[in-house]
Formats: sequence, C-alpha cells, structure tokens
Amino acid sequence: MTSATTRVQRPGALWAAPALIFFGIFGLAPIAIVAGLSFTTWDGLGNPEWAGLHNWRTLPSDKLVGSGLMITLTLTVLTWATQTPLALAFGAWAAGPQRIRAVVSTIFFLPLLLSTAAIALIWQALLDPTFGLPAQWSELTGLSANVLGDPDLALWAIVFVLLWQFLPFHMLLYQAAAKQIPASLYEAAEIDGASPLQRFWRITVPQLRHTIIASSVLMIVGSMTYFETVLLLTGGGPGTATRILPLHMYLKGFSAFEMGYASAIAVLLVAVGTGLSLLVVRVSGYSQMTSEREGV
Amino acid sequence: MSTITARPAGEQAESVTPARSAKRSAARAGSRRVSRPAYGAGIGAAIWLVLVVVPLYFLIATSLRGSGDYLSAGPLSIPEEITLDAYRRAFEVGFLKFLTNSLIVAFGAIILVLAVALPAAFAIVRSKSRVVRIGFTLFLLGLAVPAQAVIIPIYLLITRLHLYDSLTAVILPTAAFALPVSIVVLTSSLRDVPSSLYEAMSLDGASNFQIFWNLVLPLSRSGVVTVTIFVGLNAWNNFLFPLVLTQSMDTRVLPLGLWEFQTQYGTDVPGLMAAVVLSALPVLALYLFGRRQLLSGLAAGIGK
Amino acid sequence: MLGSALAALALGLTTACGTSGPGADSDKAGVEVWMVEDASVNEVVQSAIDTYSKNAGIDGELVTYVNDAYKQRIQVALGSPESPDVFFNWGGGNLAQYVKANQVVDLTEAMEANPEFRDAFLPSVLDVAKIDGSYYGVPMQGVLPVVLFYNKKVFKEVGVEPPTTYSELLDLVDTFKKEGITPIVLPGAQAWTELMWLEYLTDRIGGAEVFQAIAEGKEGAWKDPAIIKALEMCQDLVERGAFGDNFSSLTSDNGSASTVLASGKGAMYLMGTWEISNQQEHNPDFLADGNLGFIAFPALEDGKGDPAAIVGNPSNYFSVNSDSDNVDEAIDFLVETMASDAYVEDLIEIGHVPAVAGIEDKLAETEHSEFTTFTYQLVSEAPSFTQSWDQAIPPAAAETMLTNLQLVFLGDMTPEEFAEAMEATQ
Repeated sequence: MTSATTRVQRPGALWAAPALIFFGIFGLAPIAIVAGLSFTTWDGLGNPEWAGLHNWRTLPSDKLVGSGLMITLTLTVLTWATQTPLALAFGAWAAGPQRIRAVVSTIFFLPLLLSTAAIALIWQALLDPTFGLPAQWSELTGLSANVLGDPDLALWAIVFVLLWQFLPFHMLLYQAAAKQIPASLYEAAEIDGASPLQRFWRITVPQLRHTIIASSVLMIVGSMTYFETVLLLTGGGPGTATRILPLHMYLKGFSAFEMGYASAIAVLLVAVGTGLSLLVVRVSGYSQMTSEREGV
Repeated sequence: MSTITARPAGEQAESVTPARSAKRSAARAGSRRVSRPAYGAGIGAAIWLVLVVVPLYFLIATSLRGSGDYLSAGPLSIPEEITLDAYRRAFEVGFLKFLTNSLIVAFGAIILVLAVALPAAFAIVRSKSRVVRIGFTLFLLGLAVPAQAVIIPIYLLITRLHLYDSLTAVILPTAAFALPVSIVVLTSSLRDVPSSLYEAMSLDGASNFQIFWNLVLPLSRSGVVTVTIFVGLNAWNNFLFPLVLTQSMDTRVLPLGLWEFQTQYGTDVPGLMAAVVLSALPVLALYLFGRRQLLSGLAAGIGK
Repeated sequence: MLGSALAALALGLTTACGTSGPGADSDKAGVEVWMVEDASVNEVVQSAIDTYSKNAGIDGELVTYVNDAYKQRIQVALGSPESPDVFFNWGGGNLAQYVKANQVVDLTEAMEANPEFRDAFLPSVLDVAKIDGSYYGVPMQGVLPVVLFYNKKVFKEVGVEPPTTYSELLDLVDTFKKEGITPIVLPGAQAWTELMWLEYLTDRIGGAEVFQAIAEGKEGAWKDPAIIKALEMCQDLVERGAFGDNFSSLTSDNGSASTVLASGKGAMYLMGTWEISNQQEHNPDFLADGNLGFIAFPALEDGKGDPAAIVGNPSNYFSVNSDSDNVDEAIDFLVETMASDAYVEDLIEIGHVPAVAGIEDKLAETEHSEFTTFTYQLVSEAPSFTQSWDQAIPPAAAETMLTNLQLVFLGDMTPEEFAEAMEATQ
C-alpha cells in the first residue's frame, strides 16, 4: 500500500542549525574579531589602534615566526609518526577479548585523567638534571643529563611527553572502531590461511581508514594550536629551540602584550592548520559519503 | 587450516558452560574478531605499561611526601615518611567547592555539545543541502582555531551578555570549541551506518525525527561515548576560559584551584600532586563505575 | 543517572547565574583590592582590609590570582566594568604602562597632604612608583633585593671564605670545580635568573645610570659598552664551567635549584631574598642548622658602579584604579594602612622586611633576625635600588630581552647581537 513515490527522507539544514548558530557566536565571530585585531596594535588596555598592515609586514621579518613554523611542522610530523602507529597497534590490540587486555588498557587510559599542568610538572621533575632520572642514567651510561636544556634533546623530550599525554585518547578512538570490525571478515581471512600480521594489514588497517583520518586530522591541527605542554615543560627553550609557533603567538599576546601582532600570528596558524586539515581530508577522500561496511 | 588458532585457555573454559545467551555467542564470535597472538604488540604493550606506571607512581608517591625532602631523595624512591599533610592542604584550599564547580561545567558542556552536535552530524552525513556542506567546512575551520587567540573577543562577548563570573560563562565557550572535534567524531561514527538502513526506514514511512531517534541515536553510541569522554575531560582540565571568565572563589574550578599551590616564587609540589590525585579520582571512579556501559557502548557495532 | 545529572546541572546553573560584573551592584561604598596569590601576605592584607572596613563603615574585599594569571587578568580587567579599586603591581615599567593608559590615580596630592605617610617609606623604594615625577603607587610588602647565597657547610669543608670581590669569585669557581661541586647554581631554564647576573654586572661596571638610560627609553642605551662587557663576563662564567653542565634545564620553581644549594651539590646561588622562604619550604633542616649564608654581590675592582648598589624587586605596590567609583575611600585606605604600625608589624611577623624607615629594632626580634637585619641594612644603605629589568621595561621588550638573554648564555647569540636586537625594541 506504499505510494508509488518513495522519497528518501533526508534531514534538512535545520538539523544543523543549532550547532551552526551556537558555533557561529562563540567560535566563528571571535575568529573574525581576531582577524580584525591583526590590523591593530593593542596591549589589552584601552582601545585597539588602527595599524594597517604593520603587523603583517613585521611577520616575514620576525625570525621567530619562520623558525616557529619549522619547529611546529617538525613537531607535527614527529608526533604523527610516533602516535599514530602506536595508537593503531595498541588500539587494535586492546580491542581483543582477552581479559588482561581490558585491565591493561584501563591503566593506559589513566594519563587522560591528568591535566596538562600535572603532566608537565611530573615530567619536569622526572627529567630534572640533578635529581631526576637523567641524573641516574647519566651515572650509568655517561650520557648527558641535560635533557630539557639541550636544544636537540628538548624537542624529543616534548615529543615523548606529548606521546604520553595523548596516546590514550587516540588509542581509545582506534579501540572503539576496531571493536566494530565484523568478525566475519577475520573468519574469512583465517579460512583463507592469512597470518595474524596479514590479517592486521589487510583487514584491520583498511577498516580503520576513517578513524585513521579523523585521528590524523585531530593530531595535525592539535599540533598547530596546542602549546600548553611546551609552555610548561620548556617555555620554548632552551633559548628558542622548542618555540613552536602557537607558543610564540601566546608569548607575544600575553607576555609581551602585543595583541595585534599575536592576532596576526593566530590568523597565520588558523590558515596553515585549516589548509593542512583540508588537504588531508581531500587527499584521503574522507568527504565521500561511503562507508567501508557497504555490502557486508 | 584449522580454524582453532591459539585461543587462550580461558576461552576454552567459557565455551564449555551451557546456556548460551545471544550476547554470549556474540562475544565468542567476537573473540575471533581480532585474534592477535602477535607477541610484538604484547611486548610493546608491556613496555608502554611501564612507561605509564612510572610517572603515575611518582605522582602518588610525591603526594604522600612531606614537602621537605621531595627532591633530594630521588623521584622514584619510596617516601621515607608517608604523610597525608599534602591532602589536608588540598582540602583546606577549598577542594570540594572546586570539584563541584568542575562537575557542573563538565556536565553542562557535555549535554550542550551532544544536544547540538548529534542532529548536526546526522545532517552532515545524510543531507544533500549545500548549507550543510558549507557548515561542515566551517566546523573543520574551527578545529584549527587556538582558544588563546580568541579569548579576548570571547571575554567581551561574555561581559556584554552579563554572564561574567558564572559557570555558564565557562560552559558556553568550552562547548563551542569542543564542537568541531565532536562533530568530526560523530560523523565518522555515523558514516559507518550503511545507507541501506536509512533508506529502509524511510521506505517504511519514517520521518526524519523517527530516523534520528530510532536509528541514529542507538547506532552512534560509540561516538557519543567518545565525545562524552573528550568533552568531559576537556571541560575538566580547561584552564584558560575559567581564568579569564570567572573571578570569585564561588565559581573557581579545579584547574584554577590547582594553581593555588603555585606562588610567585615556587611551587608546593606535594600539595599540587595531592590536588591532582584528588581531582583525578572522581573521573577515575566514573570510568571504573561506568566501564561496563562504556564497553557495551563501544562494542555496540553493527557486526553480525 | 542522567536524570539526577540534569537536576544537579539545573541547580548549579541557577545558583551560578552570572552578573554583569563585580562592583556593579553594591550600594554601600566599597574597596575591592586585587593582588597576587601569596598566602602569608594575603592574610596580612586581608586583616588590614577588615580593620579598615570596620572602622570606615564600608565593604572591603580582597581578590587574589596566581602570578602569571594575575598579570593577564589585570591587563584585561583594567578599563572594563569588572575592575578593582586598588590593584597590585610591580611599579616601574609595569606601572608605567597603566599610567600611560590613564588607568591610575595620581597620588602626589595625597602624599603632600600626608607628609608623615610619604616620609615613612624608604625613598629608594618609594621612587620606583614615581612615574614622570608623580607618585602612582604605595609600597605594600617587603623589600626583595638580590643577594648572593652560599652553603656555609660546603665553604667550611673546602676551607674558603665567601667572595667580596669579583676576582675572588672567579678563584672560588676554579676551586669548587676541582672539588666536583657546581660553583654557582643557575636555574637557566628560567631566563630571569640569568638576568640577575646581567643586572649586577652592568651596575658594577658602569653604575646604575646605564640601566636608567634604558628605562627612560634613550636611544643607543642598549649599546652601552657596560652591557656588552657584562654579557661577555656572563659568557666567560659559562665557559669556565661556573654554572655546571646542566644549568639550562635546571628550574627554580619546583625547588630544584634551592635543593642543589642545600644538598651541597652547589656552592653559591644568586637569588632574591624570597629564597629564604623557598628554603624553609623545601629544605628546612638546611636552614635550621644555620648553613644558609648570604652576602652582598661582590665588588668589581675596576668598575665605575658603587659596590653598595643593589638590584632586585624594591617592593610591590598598590595603586588606585582611575575608573573606580570609590577613589577617595581607596586612597584613604592606603594612607591609613600601608605605613601603620599594625600593618608593618604583621609584615615583619611573616618574615618580610618592609620598606619603612626606622624598624631596625623590630627586625632584631624576628626569627631570622640576622638575615632580616642584613637585608634591611643592605637596602637602607644602598645608593640605588635598580628594579628587575623585566619589570622596569615595557612587557614587549622584556619578553624579547629574556629570550635573547637565554640565547647569549647558551652561546647562540653574541653580546653585540643582543644589543642590536634590544635597540630595535626601543
């Protein structure tokens, strides 16, 4: 008794309206204001003064912007290269049914409960050159104990602390997604004689494609904007060795109180971050509306 | 090749007991989902376990030390005298009030985000509207915005709305900035629902709302759980917004409270560690308590 | 569970419904004071506010924030509807930026109407709140000069005396290095500790006028040869190994540096007098055993500067917000309390050395009387008390200076490059 016209119900724009309006007020409007501020000089007191392109002209000649960008991109690559494989492997591992995996993954989850300040303080104390772990291993191996104060080692230390801090979150994403992979796929592969490693590469990874992309996008834009750990661990030092661009922006805004200039840097960061994430999305075809589960 | 690969002994024992419910057999089938006796991953996990536990040990051990000797003994040593002094200081500072405020902010943000993000994700995944597509791009743009850059315009906005020094003032921007990530996660989770299911419901004459209520909500459970965790933790640990948008002790949240231990010239580290432990306990309790729901939410896939 | 959560949330929101900002709704006149978080000083100020409020029949309130948070907070709040009546600041350049934005009340008139109040303070300290010839602030806590601390036990064991001249200091560096002790503790991860060396050396080499010129924004002031020489001497110290190998990752905030000195791994430590509370907190035994020694920064044999000159934080100051609705009450509060016996005695009791004249006797009765008396004499006899450079110059320049100074100490920037970079900020 259905009518001849079977119109597929699709939600209209109204469904997205509340989110868009809310985000528009508290997320987008401030961005527009910040873009406007980048054409002013303002120290937070009084009113912003029109400065035209002054801040934008200063940007290229500010050596710390160039180096900040380089360090940020380096950190982004290093973070992605360490966090993604581990999160993927551990997430898939944790999705397994064995009891012990559930217990262990509960422990893995614990760093998520800690705030950035706590994590930075803990690692700063653990990496203290006189009383921390470096002092002890320095006696044993003769390696330098000056971890956070060494321009080369400091960045690696940050990569590690960020790994410690954020691996649980990405692991959770992969774990949740891996649990949804239908058993039938694996059963079929087993019957065909595939080894565990082959099953991982041929089934798990492709099935987690969407998650890999979502997680990677989060990681990339996170590196473009997140600086609290770096601020608390090294302050951008030693010297300027770990002064990532978002940190530079923060220091220019809230330490030097050059808010107009900081806004210009902020706009640059938004542009680069958005550009990168759009690139990732486009290249991976994420915006296609297909699912890996079609036809299963 | 035999399908009985190396299954842990526990599995064998379980398969012997009678009275299978549907869930049980699903779990058993699930045991084959990711049967990875890959010892590489096991060893890796063991190493990572050590790396996770050591700093946590440091955290707890330090919180039990007197502030006098916390450094010279070495970070991993067992505290000479275990004292709860640091915890006492944490409570004196007003810990319970901060805790309540943080809870309110976290709950408020979570509910607000879910209330607007779920319908939006539904629209993004299913709608053909141009507006929605542009909207999605705008959310992606929002991912790259550092909160620190827009804190001043937000401060101006909040004071104009007469919301200054309220917990609402903290909830609103926190939720707004968590929105892009939440939408990314929810759309990712909804995309895995085959179109055929939507079409089938539609053919049965279901309205958008019915599709949303009966299909989208249940099947997006894992996404909802992830978003809840993400937004909740974000709101729990957020420092910048409460800093600029609140003032009195009445509205002080935990992260600001933690900074009570940092003076101009130094830090009361054991006190700070005690406060950190205390502030992590409620979340931990929630996680342990709700773990079952968490796991079933995560496992609620559409695998056969 | 969801239901009860929603109920709690609703309750929370209704009780937490916001206002249009503080100070907007009180009918009674009030004085709201903002300051940095510092448990012991906060208590003193709170009791002063309470006493004054009771006597004057007004509402007094104290609001506190942690250090960095305070700076951001006040920056955003001044000029907005949610601002205090009285606010804490660091005097010098920090205060000057607020004065330039017309946010501060000129207190000169009040000073002239109350000469005993004005004269109660040590001039070198009060003058730091003088901007363009007018007074804009009042000292509200103790003086905090930078002195050279040392570990008496280590010195005794090695058999040496604390240095009174710079060449003696250099000799000590060599001696301690041979003993495997870090001669000088330097928490170089935080650039302001390196700044102390630059400040003192510049003052000893060229006198206080060198920095005075910088603070006044004079052209070419940063290129003064005294500064170049001072930076070269700093780099010389680094090369001699005076600071050890790990100074660039050592921090002071978490007590590491203090413990290096207390444990005997380091021999000397150039730091502000607040260090004594750090030691009290982290290494009470070291303090109780009387092993914390202190001495003024050594003299430079062929330097132009007065060897009795000091650097550091003269004090912190209370200023009155020009937007305040209660300017008269705020001024009255300051005049009545800041130099009063009760307030001064309270400060002394918590270990501070107030910037007030004639308190030697009171100090002699304090717990660390040797230290407080030493500090007081140092300050009252100093011909000049130069403020920490990072508080005296505009914040933008300060940020650049600290970053570049770290690079100099790491050997990544030459003194000349430093001077060039700083000139560009003038």
